[in-house]
Amino acid sequence: MSEIQYIGETLWPGQLGHLLIIISFVSAIGATIAYFLAEKERENPVSNWLGTANWSYVIHGVSIFGLMAVIFYIMLNRMYEYAYAFNHVSDDLPFKYTFSAFWEGQEGSFLLWMFWHIILGWVIIWKGGQWRPAVMTFLSLIQVFLTSKILGTYLPFGDGGSKLGINPTVLLRDVQDAPIFANAEYLELITGSGLNILLQNYWMTIHPPVTFLGFAALSIPFCFALAGLWRRDYKGWLDPGLKWGLFAGFALGTGILLGSVWAYEALTFGGYWAWDPVENMSLVPWLIIIAGIHTNLIAKSTGHSIRATMVFYILAFCLIVYSTYLVRSGILEDTSVHAFTEMGLENQLIFFILFFLILGLTLFFMRYREIPNPKKEEDWNSREFWMFIGSMVIVIGSILITYSTSLPVMNAIMQFFDPFYQSRVVEDPIEHYNAHQLWIATLMALLSGISIYLRYRGANWLNYRKKFFTQTGIALLLTAVLTWATIQWIQVVAWQYILLIFAALFSFIVNMDHLLFRIKGNLKASGSAIAHIGFATMIIGIMASGINKTYVSSNVFAQSGMLEGMEDEDLLRNIVLIKNEPIFMRGYIATYETDRFDGNERSFDIRFVEIDEEGRGLDSFVLSPNVIYDKNFTQIEAANPDIRRQPLIDIFTRIARLPAQQIDLESAQAVEDSLRFETYYMNLGDTTFTSRHYIVLEEIHHSILHPDKEGSAEDDIALTLKMRVHSLDKDSAFTALPGIALRGSFVFRYPEQIDPLNMRIHLADTLIEDLFHTEKELNYTEFQLAQGDRFQYDEYEITFLNVNQEPWHPSYDERDGDIALSAILEVVNTETGAEYRTEPVYMIRDNIQSNFKTMVPEAGLHFRFTRVDPNTGKMTFMVAEQPMKIQNLPVQIAENVPRSDFIVLEAIRFEGLNFFWVGSFMMMIGLLFSMIVRLRNKM
Amino acid sequence: MKKIHIVAGLLMAGAVLLFVITSTDFGTYYTFAEAELLEDGRNVKIIGQLSKDKEMVYNPEIDPNRFTFYMTDEEGDERMVVLLSEKPQDFEMSEQLVLTGRFRDGTFVAREMLMKCPSKYQDDEIFVRSEI
Repeated sequence: MSEIQYIGETLWPGQLGHLLIIISFVSAIGATIAYFLAEKERENPVSNWLGTANWSYVIHGVSIFGLMAVIFYIMLNRMYEYAYAFNHVSDDLPFKYTFSAFWEGQEGSFLLWMFWHIILGWVIIWKGGQWRPAVMTFLSLIQVFLTSKILGTYLPFGDGGSKLGINPTVLLRDVQDAPIFANAEYLELITGSGLNILLQNYWMTIHPPVTFLGFAALSIPFCFALAGLWRRDYKGWLDPGLKWGLFAGFALGTGILLGSVWAYEALTFGGYWAWDPVENMSLVPWLIIIAGIHTNLIAKSTGHSIRATMVFYILAFCLIVYSTYLVRSGILEDTSVHAFTEMGLENQLIFFILFFLILGLTLFFMRYREIPNPKKEEDWNSREFWMFIGSMVIVIGSILITYSTSLPVMNAIMQFFDPFYQSRVVEDPIEHYNAHQLWIATLMALLSGISIYLRYRGANWLNYRKKFFTQTGIALLLTAVLTWATIQWIQVVAWQYILLIFAALFSFIVNMDHLLFRIKGNLKASGSAIAHIGFATMIIGIMASGINKTYVSSNVFAQSGMLEGMEDEDLLRNIVLIKNEPIFMRGYIATYETDRFDGNERSFDIRFVEIDEEGRGLDSFVLSPNVIYDKNFTQIEAANPDIRRQPLIDIFTRIARLPAQQIDLESAQAVEDSLRFETYYMNLGDTTFTSRHYIVLEEIHHSILHPDKEGSAEDDIALTLKMRVHSLDKDSAFTALPGIALRGSFVFRYPEQIDPLNMRIHLADTLIEDLFHTEKELNYTEFQLAQGDRFQYDEYEITFLNVNQEPWHPSYDERDGDIALSAILEVVNTETGAEYRTEPVYMIRDNIQSNFKTMVPEAGLHFRFTRVDPNTGKMTFMVAEQPMKIQNLPVQIAENVPRSDFIVLEAIRFEGLNFFWVGSFMMMIGLLFSMIVRLRNKM
Repeated sequence: MKKIHIVAGLLMAGAVLLFVITSTDFGTYYTFAEAELLEDGRNVKIIGQLSKDKEMVYNPEIDPNRFTFYMTDEEGDERMVVLLSEKPQDFEMSEQLVLTGRFRDGTFVAREMLMKCPSKYQDDEIFVRSEI
């Protein structure tokens, strides 16, 4: 096949992108080698390797930034010839989500990770002092590995070569094989597939950058630990290592926290944490870095625990890469709600982890004996002793989480050796993780309390001992009182939870005491107190929100896993709310009041009235959860919760389901197809009986009265039958206003649905044909009248009574600047004496005259008010007689229509959730504060 | 023997204990036939595929927490399933289901379901403008 000359493609961004990738890869390798040589020659430099290395790293950074700019350019300009643009943006994607779309893809998220490594690397080049060459050797090496993920070259190994990375600027036609590429103008035909609607919110804009900053920050203490080992300077790195460790803890923790705010606020999980594998594997590296920060502090203060600190920093880094692997390999597909798909980089990621794990541990064990460790052991009454135990507890907790989360990996490994291996799975994840993390958290809280009252090295213990026991005793007493108060509020029964609450409150009190009365302005120590108070507060929040989580929309207290012996019935969560029918739920009366559209977003207003035991209303509020339809309203794409937040109570609501007709076109069609319509012929004033109802045709109008009609549209012909529908078995009656109209050449139908009766009423299309003939056949007579004048038309005497300056007509929508008036005409049939009144409307809008006709259906008279003569004051009217066919009007009625006026609602009441948010926020503040204070002391 | 080693050892022992205790939470995936034989009423996980040609019933007006459908497990055994929840969005598109539940009176009652859908953005379909 000859080469096709494609039309409309812009190829230079791809070529530039490819060039930048190669430059960044080569410069990262160059920087690694140059830093390595600079470190080797550090004692007596022969040549300026450090300068070369720094320049290489700058070039690496600039080329990655350039590459990101190229990708943004491609995405912003919707260049669908590029796979990345095709896969992640679409014509209708708002500009503000371009960033989200950028890091939706794996290539983009790798770039984001690299971006932060570059920034952090530049900070080290700028401020890193004598540690620069050693630290930057490892950081550049990490960048080599990361850059290889976007290299997109094929290596001649394995079956048909193996892929090394994926180039984000590759052309769509190079990665997808589709017949459409036989067309030289294929670009005209394709459009991007856009960004997943769930990701189109501002959380997606901020959560990934912060999380990846955390990822990148974890590399720095790791690099410092390796640098210390390499240089055999086992103590010098502890100071910068601690600062970076604190920063990493802050950044990654904030990233995780933002993710859980997102999960709670915008997604419909109904909670902030679900022990999902993806959540777990970002939590574990954070826990390890927290353990590392604690041992690092011990090492700085006492010289103990240097080895542990190194191991923790090495592990934290390797685990973050492992977490990347788990998330991206697709191995979690049976156990995680996060749908990630394979990208073919699994082996590369495994190599990445193993390389750095082996590098780190080899270096560590080679130097193990040299690493200083004080001969004198830690005393049991020293702070470092219990802090170390605390770190161990954190690490054990992390191991337990990692073990359970890695079951799918173990299954895959076992199945590799034994194809008949039975996969194992955690049966109830929330119950499982809560069961062991409960003990971990209890120990952590107790230790974070008790160690505060102890001193490093147990200094001056004999004199201090009495004070220690007094303080601890008072704290325990206070804790007991506070625990009693707390369990009155949370209503815990299980002793395990009471113990945890006790431990958390103990930590809270001790650290409060520490912060307020002991350290008195010692900034360096206040960071840890704030973080510990935050941790304790967070635990209280977890307990309160978990134990007192109530499905308001059901009838039972529930969080699976927090209470024993849950029956299936206890898990029922949903309730049906019928429009305008108040429903009593647990402690609330809920009424679904209205729904409204804003673009393709449909919100449902639900009024909640909180009631006390005697049924008196306490508090009333409206929540508006919504659903989002796709742009053509063919189906629902997502649902957003709405939450009422109060200091102690949150009410979370989400739309679980809508009537089938409103979910997507297909279901709507299926419902339509299932309807059975019967045709009835009706006459004015008569009563028609259907199988379960009787209907009285009360009025006939020549305009549309249905509320769905848009005011501005002008109908050429319209008909509404106003009818009263009664149920045969229930004592209820409804007014229906089904209509039909002709507008230009289109027929508009206004069927009426009476949900409580499962009834739908259509006017038959043939009606419009009858009417249309009528209008065409009309033979108008023109006449002029002044006010009070009469005109005789056949047997009718028409009197122009008055002018109405505020005319009303069903088709007339008032607008500023209109000149509109109606003429009140009295029509008397001189033979029968019957009297009628009608008000045809005359209007000038934008200098154009028009009029709205009226009818006297009983007489078959049609009126128009066509002109006003300002000089004479005379008005021109037109009248025509055409008895309308008002007999045997065909009306189609179905009586098996599913209701469409309800929602299926899930409503959850959380207590004390704000303790969780405030507590976790305080932990982050504490970490950040500690880092800033240490930075100010000495760089 | 250092004191810290003793405490660390105790901690480790505690950790192993937790490990053993919580490992009883690990199960294997069951088939319908195996799950039906269980008598202790505990919840198990079954992997399978939605039988798309069979009837799916969700009548919120009658019970918003009851959705029935048919699933074929990995042994090819097709059974009716009751899910104690709403019918999820895009259920028909699911490629794989993981149910957590148990047999009650001969019917598998699922209290939870994990649904795997084809990723909208990874399939090889080219969106053609005219269709949108």
